[in-house]
Amino acid sequence: MATTTATLTLSSTDLLSDSLSVSATQTLYKAGTTTGLDGIQYERLEVPTGDVYDIVDATAAGANKANKIYIANKNTTETNYVDVYVAALNIGRLYAGDWMFIPLEAAAATQDVGVEAIGAAQHIEFALIHEGKTLVAS
Amino acid sequence: MATTTATITLASSDIADNSLSISNTMTMTTAGTTTGITETTGLARKKIASATEVDLITRDNIDVTASKSAKVYIKNTGTATDKYALIGIGQATGTPIYLGRLYGGDWMVFPWLAAQTGGAGHANNEDITIKMDDATETIIEYMVFFE
Repeated sequence: MATTTATLTLSSTDLLSDSLSVSATQTLYKAGTTTGLDGIQYERLEVPTGDVYDIVDATAAGANKANKIYIANKNTTETNYVDVYVAALNIGRLYAGDWMFIPLEAAAATQDVGVEAIGAAQHIEFALIHEGKTLVAS
Repeated sequence: MATTTATITLASSDIADNSLSISNTMTMTTAGTTTGITETTGLARKKIASATEVDLITRDNIDVTASKSAKVYIKNTGTATDKYALIGIGQATGTPIYLGRLYGGDWMVFPWLAAQTGGAGHANNEDITIKMDDATETIIEYMVFFE
């Protein structure tokens, strides 16, 4: 069993009349347990323009679990962004420097995670912390 | 212009032979600019004591502009690690796309396209939905940053 934590700090001194300071920490457990997630896939890659490319294939072993995915757009040009797709739905844009962290339901084999670079090819980093994936025989 | 930052730290000393340590800070800006986001819902709390799927955040109610750089923070403040909130995008009365499960103590941050395809309340609008796995009373916190 591994112990992995994800800590968030949201802060601003001038978005509201008073300072904003929100902190949250979670330990990444397997679904419904207090046993730590023990699988990881951590990559950096360049995403070309022109199409949606899957970065995570949903598999039966990972369906309906407590998997987590972190994606960061490492580009530095503010007009460039990466569209993020879950199950073929464009959920939002990661502009240069943005990141996201969500649980991944992956309920069916069609519920992959995809990205499309808009404006230019862009480097992203992603980490999938999971409790299992179905391997494909060679 | 406001300056709002979100920092994530992912850390583990034993998920692999070498330690995992990812730290990243984003400054929330309006789409395609370096100008800080200036609108937010503020930090909201909603008590849910039903397993019926509902809209947690309705795009039309907060007047978020579609296809920009909105960001959403959601946290399940519960402590039960065997109870979860299933978060989706779409319409609670339709067939939302499920992102994933927030078990007790879990949080998430993600960009939100907030697409509106058929006017206010249309079945294809991208609200943020929530479905608890049972009727145990749970408080969900959320905050949207948008333009």
